[in-house]
Amino acid sequence: MNQKMDYFTFIAASLRNKPGRNLATIFCFAFIAANIFSAQYIIAGAVGSVDLGVSRMGADILVAAPQYSVFYKYVGPENTAAIVKVEPSTLRINARSVDSTGSVEGVAKTSQQLYVTTMNLPELSSSPVDIFGIDPATDFTIQPWLNHPLNSPLGPGEVIIGNTIKGAISSQISVLAHPYIIAGRLDPTRTAVDTTIFLRMEDAYALAVADGIVPSSAPRIIPGDINGVLVKVKPGADPAMVQARIKAPNAALTVLGRHFTLDPVSKEIQGLPNLLIMITAVVVLAAFPLIALISAMVARERQREIGLLKSMGAKRNIILFLIMTESLVLATLGGIAGIGASIVIFSLLNIHRVLTSGVQVSLHMPAPHEIAVMVGMALFIVMIIGSLASLWPAYQSSIMNPYDAIRHEG
Amino acid sequence: MIEVTAVTKAFSTNTAEVRAVDEVNLEVNPGEFVLILGRSGSGKSTLLAMLAGLICPTSGTVKLRGRDIGNLPEDEIAGLRAKEIGFVFQFSGLIPTITALENVMLPTLFCPDGPGSRSRAIELLRKVGMSHREDAYPRTLSSGEMKRVAIARALINEPSILIADEPTGDLDSVTEIEIMELFKELNFDGTTIVMVTHNPDLVPYGTKTYGMNHGKLVEVFSPPCVNSAQQSSSYSSRKDAT
Repeated sequence: MNQKMDYFTFIAASLRNKPGRNLATIFCFAFIAANIFSAQYIIAGAVGSVDLGVSRMGADILVAAPQYSVFYKYVGPENTAAIVKVEPSTLRINARSVDSTGSVEGVAKTSQQLYVTTMNLPELSSSPVDIFGIDPATDFTIQPWLNHPLNSPLGPGEVIIGNTIKGAISSQISVLAHPYIIAGRLDPTRTAVDTTIFLRMEDAYALAVADGIVPSSAPRIIPGDINGVLVKVKPGADPAMVQARIKAPNAALTVLGRHFTLDPVSKEIQGLPNLLIMITAVVVLAAFPLIALISAMVARERQREIGLLKSMGAKRNIILFLIMTESLVLATLGGIAGIGASIVIFSLLNIHRVLTSGVQVSLHMPAPHEIAVMVGMALFIVMIIGSLASLWPAYQSSIMNPYDAIRHEG
Repeated sequence: MIEVTAVTKAFSTNTAEVRAVDEVNLEVNPGEFVLILGRSGSGKSTLLAMLAGLICPTSGTVKLRGRDIGNLPEDEIAGLRAKEIGFVFQFSGLIPTITALENVMLPTLFCPDGPGSRSRAIELLRKVGMSHREDAYPRTLSSGEMKRVAIARALINEPSILIADEPTGDLDSVTEIEIMELFKELNFDGTTIVMVTHNPDLVPYGTKTYGMNHGKLVEVFSPPCVNSAQQSSSYSSRKDAT
């Protein structure tokens, strides 16, 4: 029974009993928070989508055996296809002969692929299934197509399957009596990738020794054999120059380039975040004086109350604390309301794909931890705005003469 | 307890300087009930505001328990107001967003080391006859009830002095008498009171009465102070004990 009045009770009562005024202020803060959060969300979504899209575009250069171009459908300047995997062929090279490719100037990364065979597996697919070996550690063309990231790197006995291959994740499939566990499934590509099973290179070599896998007319697959090396060029490097550098010491090899660039798309997408940042800045700049004005009006309306508090012994810092805390509470409530509303609206828009068609970009939903960071950032900015906007009215109130304030006809 | 020496408060207008309080001397002793009578604009509220440290005198000194409150830094005066001075305004002065009990407890926010507490607030509300309305919001109280709550609030931190600025100015005559009886009772219990009013009918309640006109203060009536002296001594010893 000996407890004293506490600031929380006073602030809570003050906020509770002025619902109209406080709701208007909360709405302003909600509007700002919604704008900041939405801009971050769309930017992250667009950037994520572009990143994913670019990573799914596959390699810039393909290094393969001599005569390989016979099998490759898209040779020449008209080639606008993404290089995701090598074409099925029995034209192989030894991996060691192209080891130096990774150290060529302008090469960012390389990854080897081995075509094992094509076979009918009616329990898995109505179409013939291609079986490929990849190196999961260096692969940069297949795994970006996964519809869900793998729980752990592709292990021995595990496979990644194309979109139309039957089988659930973690279930077992069998190829020529070799059991494999499905570790991941790819998104649809509308290409032969959809009917392909990807194994680790070691598993591919192990499978390749089975009878009937390779036609008797073709050379047997031995460890170290590959069908090609997929090459990613460093940003800014000229793919044609890199292609020439790879070709120079291996004149007999087939070195194919992709004849399209993502630069125009990238530039177009880069403009979107800038536009959103500008819109957000305008909203924040416009809302800041509005909030400051509301804070000033509230402080003026409460002049007599502030005078009373000072006459009872409230010091300057207490008045500052009370007014700024109220503003912070309103900013936080508004921030939560605005962000919550944005999340709900975004969820609905994502369902109906309105947003995707609206911004002409396939939006990639940011991960929960990214959303948490955005929520924190939007809340932080709104709280900073709330503090700054109420700082001047709070200071003015704190230095007010209590006698004048009490006589003020509020 | 309060010693006012040659205090002047001047306000500048466009045309001239107005002396709201002009060379006033006043001494308030513990246990006294000092009434200051005067018409509107006579300067009595300005004098009261200086006694409470709400405004600084233009010249002269206002001493509370020997300390010149006119020369103290603002935060120190605020601390003094929280501990030593209870103020009752002409208007209710209650915060509309909190209950009667919370209003009474409000000054404890600014005097965390003081004797004010929830139990004391309840006791004070009982003393002013408002214990049955402790959860009521000010808008649901009558003028007299609001005044009673305001008096309880002024006493929560056991101030040395209770200063009241026309506390009955907006009350009907019956409620006015009730409030004055309450002040009388508080004074009888040892509370030192300085009150301004424009109603000469209230003179009998004071132990010392001054008149104020055009900023000048004159003592108009001082009854024999046997009771007052006794009260004074009793109150002082009580204060010292605490």
